[in-house]
Amino acid sequence: MTYLSFIKTEFLVLWRRKQDVFNALLFFIIVVVLFPLGVNPSSDFLAPAADGIIWCATVLAILMAIEGMFKEDYTDGSLEQLVISGLSLSLLMLLKTTAQWLAVLLPLLLMMPLLAEMLYLPDGSFWVLIVTLVIGTPSLFLIGSIGAALTVSLKQGAMLVMLLMLPFYLPVIIFATSAVRAAQLGLPYLGLLAMLLAVFLLSLVIAPFMTAIAIKASTN
Amino acid sequence: MSWTWFHKLGSPKWFFHWSKSLALPLFGFGCICLLFGLVWGVAFAPEDYQQGNSFRIIYIHVPAAILAQSCYLALGLSGLVFLVWQMKIAPIFIKAVAPVGAVMALMALVSGAIWGKPTWGTWWVWDARLTSVLVLFLLYMGIIALQNSLNDVTLANKAVAVISVVGLINLPIIKYSVEWWNTLHQGATFTLTEKPAMPAEMWVPLLISTIGLYCLVAGLALWRMQTEILIREHRSNWVKQEVMKDGL
Amino acid sequence: MAFDNLTDFFEMGRHGVYVWSVYGFSTVSLALITWSTLSKRHQIQETLRKRFLRDKTI
Repeated sequence: MTYLSFIKTEFLVLWRRKQDVFNALLFFIIVVVLFPLGVNPSSDFLAPAADGIIWCATVLAILMAIEGMFKEDYTDGSLEQLVISGLSLSLLMLLKTTAQWLAVLLPLLLMMPLLAEMLYLPDGSFWVLIVTLVIGTPSLFLIGSIGAALTVSLKQGAMLVMLLMLPFYLPVIIFATSAVRAAQLGLPYLGLLAMLLAVFLLSLVIAPFMTAIAIKASTN
Repeated sequence: MSWTWFHKLGSPKWFFHWSKSLALPLFGFGCICLLFGLVWGVAFAPEDYQQGNSFRIIYIHVPAAILAQSCYLALGLSGLVFLVWQMKIAPIFIKAVAPVGAVMALMALVSGAIWGKPTWGTWWVWDARLTSVLVLFLLYMGIIALQNSLNDVTLANKAVAVISVVGLINLPIIKYSVEWWNTLHQGATFTLTEKPAMPAEMWVPLLISTIGLYCLVAGLALWRMQTEILIREHRSNWVKQEVMKDGL
Repeated sequence: MAFDNLTDFFEMGRHGVYVWSVYGFSTVSLALITWSTLSKRHQIQETLRKRFLRDKTI
């Protein structure tokens, strides 16, 4: 096995199990719809809250998607194969997380124009929202992969992953929504995007190692 | 410099014997110190000119908040020690201290909320300090939940160490982001504890009660670690001798 | 003492409810965690002792 063949099979598996990705996206839409129906459908409420709603729904959808990230590989034994493959497990985990990220993010971005319209997102901030999603969600996936790896041996791990990971997601949510809000108010927002990028880089350095440690401990 | 103490610390047996006679004195000293600091603070310290007598909550609120943070710092560091040196005592420490830290966070949270009522007029304000204690409490709950869900000891050791280390790295970022978020939304609020130059008769009892709570928690942690060591090493001979020797 | 009499001390200038409920809650939490720590410790010791005694007689 090489890194290239690994990433090829990853995408193949993702394509075959597209229902999982589809479920996460459906969940995302339902959470977004809950807000106008449950709180207030007027643009007075929705327009200032749109970025927050979209980000909260994104975080929940990602947590749903990420929990099962290693499940199948764990039960069919391919995770153990990865551990003994001789390749760097951290790098493999990074590749796997990247594949997962692309599979969820790309359809999510495609839905954004529609959702932005439905939630009356103020015009000027749409592209900032897209940028925060692109540089903010990798951190969520990287950090989330640690939680998924830690709970892979559990049958009912979804709730635990949420409890474990949500506090770590707070900085990303705060910086991302603040950037969008700053853009709406015409304030400088590049510093906030830089903070998001810094969180991403830190996660990039640390998370794959931690995930690899957790996977090694779980497969023994 | 000799590093033998460091390697000895890794052995549960050595740690058990070393800490056996230490727990009760630490706990007792902590209780006395805490009681002394609290009585001084509650009955003898002068009234605050701005907040009146409600400021006397500080003598438990601040020590509890400090302990909640220190416990988490200790958890993260011992997680690191476990991941790097595989020291056997580290996961025992994490398992023993996490519930105590959670109680400290809860105490800080409840006392902060009750203090908020006379100060701000509501039980809860999304103040930076209170919010980060809330997050800290959730982090503790996550560690405890993970520890309890994993039945395999080796896996639980590793898992809890990993999550503590990740938490230690993340905690400053979370704190910073919450503080930043708070200034954005609240404007300049009146924080509970930040005061310009507290007079000595106010901060000395605070210092004493903080030291007291530290010692009390240390004593509790040692007891809990000893229990955990007995559970984990129950097959070994020295535990048998230890248990049969005295009632403790 | 910062108070003139005992009634003042308990009332704390209308803030007594808050101050005393905080200290009550803290005392109860500390007592509970101490109690659970010591009782668990005692229980484990008893369990182990019984097991060792049983092993000896077999």
